[in-house]
Amino acid sequence: MFKYQSSKSSGSRSWMLQRITGIALVVFAIGHYILMHYNLDSGHTYQAVLNRMQYSWYRIIDLVFLTLGMYHGLNGLWGIFRDYKMQPWLKITLVSALVILGIAFTAWGYVIIFSIPYPNTLTLN
Amino acid sequence: MADEYKDIKTFDQKEWIKENLSYKKDSGSWAWIYHRITGIALIAYLFLHVYSLSTLTDGKAAFETKMSTFTSGPYLVLEWVLFIFVLFHSLNGVRIVLVDLADGAKYHKTLYKVSWIAGIILFLGMGYIMFSHLLLK
Repeated sequence: MFKYQSSKSSGSRSWMLQRITGIALVVFAIGHYILMHYNLDSGHTYQAVLNRMQYSWYRIIDLVFLTLGMYHGLNGLWGIFRDYKMQPWLKITLVSALVILGIAFTAWGYVIIFSIPYPNTLTLN
Repeated sequence: MADEYKDIKTFDQKEWIKENLSYKKDSGSWAWIYHRITGIALIAYLFLHVYSLSTLTDGKAAFETKMSTFTSGPYLVLEWVLFIFVLFHSLNGVRIVLVDLADGAKYHKTLYKVSWIAGIILFLGMGYIMFSHLLLK
């Protein structure tokens, strides 16, 4: 029955990943909150975002934060769905929807971050 | 079936909501319920967050028009409310990790209480940080 209902993996790796990404997200979130609420401008003006985005490592942090958040969130949602009895077709539909939504919105986020120009670098060249 | 099982209450499938609500809930059950609610809210917010920042691609004017909405009073209050969800999910998440990996089952109720106290202090602190410059200006 269980062999039919689920895959061969026990799920322990995804369980552990959920804990690791969770702790990482807490650390990222603390940094995020400090940056966004240091004062009203630091979190809410275009100039502040542009200034931060001149540092590529800051873009990388954002990309990692977004990716981890999406993974942790959608894996968490899947964990909730999995608590209910589902027909195989419904399972497949839900997993597909979560994966597609996750990839689409993560990609959108990447496009947004990469689209922010590097004016300081451009004027230097 | 042996007699010893006949007094055990069976789960009524048709009344599953009522049955679930009738369970006696201790701090751990509430933590589990709140963790789900806050988790669902946070992933919904993450999607919204990507959408709301999408005007960054359209340059300064478009972004600041949108941001002027988000920095208005009601949205700042919503942002503060969002912090409740972030705080609960983070603090309870740390608690879950400690229960799973650091023998936390022995002290999880204390941790739950400490999380609430820390959460309320951080929430009020954030309220001061977010609103003091608006009120004192």
